[in-house]
Amino acid sequence: MAREFHNLQELRHNASLVTKVFVQRDYTEGTVCRFQAKFPSELDHRIERTLLEETVKTLNSYYVEAEKIGGQSYLEGCLACATAYIVFLCMETRYEKVLKKISGYIHEQNEKIYAPRGLLLTDPVERGMRVLEISVFEDRGSSSSSPSSSMSSAGSSAR
Amino acid sequence: MPGFSATTFLVGSTTLFFCFTCPWLSEYISFVIPIYVAVIFLFTLANFCMATFMDPGVFPRAEEDEDKEDDFRAPLYKTVEIKGIQVRMKWCSTCRFYRPPRCSHCSVCDNCVEDFDHHCPWVNNCIGRRNYRYFFLFLISLTTHIINVFGFGLVYVLHHRHQLDTPHAAVTMAVMCVAGLFFVPVAGLTGFHMVLVSRGRTTNEQVTGKFRGGVNPFTNGCTRNISHVLCSSQAPRYMGRQRSPLTMDVQPPFLRPALTEAQLEAKVLDNGIQNDRHSTRSKSSLDQTESQSADAEPPPPPPPPKPELRYPGLPRADTEESSLLTEAPPTPSMFKYRPAFNSPGRNHTALTHPNKMIRGESLDSPSPTILQSSRQSSYRSEPSSLDGTTVVGGGMGARRGGGERGEGPGGPGGTAGMISGGMSGYSLTGRSYTSYPSSLVLSAGGSRSSSLRSAQTAHNPLTTLQSEGTTDTSYKSLANQTPRNGSLSYDSLLTPSESPEFESAVHELSPQKPRAPFPSATVTGQHDRVSPSSPLQGYTSPFLSAQIAQQREGQLLQGSATFSSPHRAYLRADSSRAPRHLSSLSSSPRSFEPPISPPPRGLSLGKSPSYIVEVGPQHKPRPAGGGIVLGGGGAGGGPQAPQSTSRPVLANHTTSKPGGGVKKVTGVGGTTYEISV
Repeated sequence: MAREFHNLQELRHNASLVTKVFVQRDYTEGTVCRFQAKFPSELDHRIERTLLEETVKTLNSYYVEAEKIGGQSYLEGCLACATAYIVFLCMETRYEKVLKKISGYIHEQNEKIYAPRGLLLTDPVERGMRVLEISVFEDRGSSSSSPSSSMSSAGSSAR
Repeated sequence: MPGFSATTFLVGSTTLFFCFTCPWLSEYISFVIPIYVAVIFLFTLANFCMATFMDPGVFPRAEEDEDKEDDFRAPLYKTVEIKGIQVRMKWCSTCRFYRPPRCSHCSVCDNCVEDFDHHCPWVNNCIGRRNYRYFFLFLISLTTHIINVFGFGLVYVLHHRHQLDTPHAAVTMAVMCVAGLFFVPVAGLTGFHMVLVSRGRTTNEQVTGKFRGGVNPFTNGCTRNISHVLCSSQAPRYMGRQRSPLTMDVQPPFLRPALTEAQLEAKVLDNGIQNDRHSTRSKSSLDQTESQSADAEPPPPPPPPKPELRYPGLPRADTEESSLLTEAPPTPSMFKYRPAFNSPGRNHTALTHPNKMIRGESLDSPSPTILQSSRQSSYRSEPSSLDGTTVVGGGMGARRGGGERGEGPGGPGGTAGMISGGMSGYSLTGRSYTSYPSSLVLSAGGSRSSSLRSAQTAHNPLTTLQSEGTTDTSYKSLANQTPRNGSLSYDSLLTPSESPEFESAVHELSPQKPRAPFPSATVTGQHDRVSPSSPLQGYTSPFLSAQIAQQREGQLLQGSATFSSPHRAYLRADSSRAPRHLSSLSSSPRSFEPPISPPPRGLSLGKSPSYIVEVGPQHKPRPAGGGIVLGGGGAGGGPQAPQSTSRPVLANHTTSKPGGGVKKVTGVGGTTYEISV
């Protein structure tokens, strides 16, 4: 663009969603919520392996904590029974509390690690805990190798 | 209805008990009794309400983007290893994902439910992960309550043996009768569920006999199972969640990780090809499929690559093609279901996925664009209703798409439309054709859910036709041959009866796969005659002989999924003439636009009929996806001669194709595909 009178917005590079990479669930230990630690090859040149693996490991540990059957969950159940489940209207269950923590963690990870690399994690709970969705963005100024028009429906466009 | 009556009985009887029996009981025996009965009754009611109104664990539909990684060539099943045991995850065509283990699609609620137990008519809700505990406690408390009511009523009656003509006694006796009547089934069900809980099974698994004689990978021991049901934290809701309000701004420039030495070297050596592969490979799931399948079983030999069928022009073709061809088929067992053309009743909307491998073996000419477009269009337009029109896939490797039985109406139609519109010049590749007329399966009318839908889509002969010969369905039904309980909303797959034939047909056809290029306009004219009775499909092709048309109509009117031999024979003879509707479909602009419910990707033969309509008359329309597929499939078994004759026939009907050269390839079942080169 040789013109001089473009405003900053036009000159700014926009990022567009190129593709989404999905980290699937790891069912080797049953239906416990776990995600595969396998690094998807599409992200090879986008992010360091260790970072993503660390994120997935932390998420897995959060889910283990959420689904733990121990004192707190037992007491919660008893209380709920005793109050004919009315307590669910007032109180947040253990799982929900952990989900909130997870959501905060994902946001923090996105802010610190993924957004600077043009990636975006989506909270798995929005996908029914089936996949961990990683949206891959490309600088619109640069050519993207795969057509991304079909991806336009995705909501997480950078800009 | 049952839910309402259950509530009425429960509340009504208990109220009568409290009004007529309890005063005497509290006076003469103990005041604790009514309190105790009341507490149990409230507990029963609370659990009943929770079981009724709580979301059982419904999975939200997968977004379109998630779907891309499992394109139409993806297999119907994905295998995963759980504690050393192979468990299959089926592709759900409605919800568009591979169902997690223990998840099942409820046809009544039209949702996939996590840890699906059953659909309970009494509470009028599915019982799944989130509300199983309440349902279980409801059963226990209801049994207790019935015992209480009956017991205390008996005490009353015994004390008033000589005053049984009083209204109080009469009411008490009536209440006792009701209680006694309900006690037997409720107690039976309670005992049944107690056994299930201790074994760590769901009703679905128990009834379908999944672990009969086998090992249940989901059990952790009796104590742990019970504590998991009763003491675990309430599972979260997936539907209706608030999206995270925190937005993230992703702005370039982006950091990139430093390339390792090896990567740099690779970059230098491969002249960028490697990188291209990476960059174009947006199918991360394929990787995962690979890894999963690698975990599951030793991968079967990959399908022979067909580089000549690749279209470099298609941006995604290479990606898909390469990924598909290099990917090991997930389950070798898929092969055995391949030919299953028959798929009588496909109960639920799941798509049958033709085995990826099998598809690969058939013509592999990728029409990624078509697929993609079809997939996309069908995806978007997919209504839930079954129209049996899964055909849409245009037979494009309708793995998944094809497999859709009675899934969404017009799904196939839509796809077909799309395909023909979008991909003019591309013939449906063998893939779509595949021996698994998944599309056929899709239309299987036999399935329970589809029966519901077929009522809606009565106008659509596709459904009936498709039900006749859906391979994928049969393929799936072979997989799941467990008896279906009407009260349980399982997908019932009718055991295909034609599968053996189809299999033979497939085998016969497979060698025919590679074909000299056919004139592109294969089926132009004939599609019009394809659907005599279905306005949607436009099956009728003007070029069809009267006999064929007549037969077709007979097929259409049959509406049943069974393939009769004469029918089959007909199909065989026919198949040669109309090798692939799909190809014709692809070449002609699409004429109809039924909504496409089946997965866009799979274009199974079943779908082809819809295509045919649009395409040229050249091909004999394969009306019922099923019928046609059978024809295709059956034709495979049939003599080869017709095929050769069909070629000249096809040649005569060259439709104008935008593409230059068009290679005609014969796929499984005798359908020919046009591949524009």
